[in-house]
Amino acid sequence: MYTRRGIYSTAVFALVYLAQIMIIDEVHLPFGGFSVFLIFTLCWAALSTPEVGAIVGFFAGLCMDFAPTSNGPIGQWALILAALGFTIAFLRYGDDSLRSDPLSLVVFVAAAVVVALTVYIVLDAVLGNEVGRLSQLFRTVAGNGLWTLAIAPFILPIASRLHRGIFETREFQ
Amino acid sequence: MRYGGDNRSRLLLVTLIVTSLFLITLDLRGVSLITGLRHGTQSVLGPFQRAANSAFSPIGNFFSDVAHLGRTRAEIKSLETQNSQLRTTLIERKNIESQIKQLKSVLNLSGTGGYKVVSAKVISQGTSASFSQSITIDIGRNAHLTRDMTVLGGDGLVGVVKEVYASTSLIMLESDPSFRVGVRIAGSQEIGILTGQGTDRAILQMLDSQSTVKAGDVLLARGSAAGKPFVPGVPVGTVTSVPNSAGSVSQLAEVQFFTHLHSVGIVAVVVSPPITDPRDALVPPKPMPTPVPTVTIFLTPGATPAATLGATPAPSVTPKPLPTSTPTTKK
Repeated sequence: MYTRRGIYSTAVFALVYLAQIMIIDEVHLPFGGFSVFLIFTLCWAALSTPEVGAIVGFFAGLCMDFAPTSNGPIGQWALILAALGFTIAFLRYGDDSLRSDPLSLVVFVAAAVVVALTVYIVLDAVLGNEVGRLSQLFRTVAGNGLWTLAIAPFILPIASRLHRGIFETREFQ
Repeated sequence: MRYGGDNRSRLLLVTLIVTSLFLITLDLRGVSLITGLRHGTQSVLGPFQRAANSAFSPIGNFFSDVAHLGRTRAEIKSLETQNSQLRTTLIERKNIESQIKQLKSVLNLSGTGGYKVVSAKVISQGTSASFSQSITIDIGRNAHLTRDMTVLGGDGLVGVVKEVYASTSLIMLESDPSFRVGVRIAGSQEIGILTGQGTDRAILQMLDSQSTVKAGDVLLARGSAAGKPFVPGVPVGTVTSVPNSAGSVSQLAEVQFFTHLHSVGIVAVVVSPPITDPRDALVPPKPMPTPVPTVTIFLTPGATPAATLGATPAPSVTPKPLPTSTPTTKK
């Protein structure tokens, strides 16, 4: 059962990952654009148990670390998304009021994206990498948050349907 | 009721975080396994990215252009300005190169003839409305110029200083209808008077009716007393045609100037004549004829033409250069 879930989840994430690097990364959107892979991962984590959220976050983060556009050390995104996946699942899983409200879930995911990017920048700075101008960073992070608010309503139903089909335990209404 | 706060979940989280930190450490320490993994991933994803790039780059560029519309416009404007400046620089450079070429020719001519010259730039061409052929140069009394000084171009005579102002001078071109210069034919030393016609051709009138002039003869300035208005030995032009003038008092000929007066940009004003007459030293070398390749075909005759052709389908062809351009057939 776990193997089947793992294989299906991997296939789904691989498709989203390919869509990210083949399509989204090629389209130069204003204000930094968005990461459909990051949004999908956070949505998936929000619909899962904390253990699954952490594992999904960790491996999705590894995928992002290995992405051609990534310039940080390997494990940086894995660290952030493992912690964030666990946290978001932990916060969402026991909160029935939030689960019944899709709009709040979208805002929740958008906020998680902003937190993820901010932590990434802070970690980058701590590791001694050049992070760029503060205004540009703010623009990118805020732009990503706004893009997520716009895109997440379309991704969330797909993620919910796939998650329900694979795990058959939780579903998003 | 929240789920996930138990020890197993926390242990898993800690394990993943420690693993991540371990990976970060390995990567920062430059462990080849991690670097190899990243390179391997990028090798696998490369083809996908290239395929996507060719398919989606127009869309991507569109979004980028829309997003950066103002910046793109400013960039286009900046590039247009830069392009315009570069074009101007290129034109100026070509102009300067042409002027340098002319200056070198002028200095070569002056040096060979032993003339002491002051170079000048043509700043204005005379208008055709005045029916006079003149140019204005950028030096005058400030360069100690006086009237009736010879003006040279790279190929020969240009004209004579007609008026001198403070910092400019007016030059009467040799093509001016009122321009007259005493010339001699290089080699035969026969003399005549050349008169401008308002075009790039002039009329030569020989002083001796028994003179023989032929097309191709080179004319040089005879020179005046004290080198004014003309210094001796300056190439003037070449005879292009000699009309049939049976019964006329003097021999006439049509002459083409050496100097292309329409494109003259740099000139030299002779301020001091040569110590010795350069005679024919400044006669321009005759242009070398372009060699024409010729091919001689040798045909080997057989017993009968038909039999030969049947026996040897291809005739032997031997290329051999000959002075004539007509193919010669030997049998």
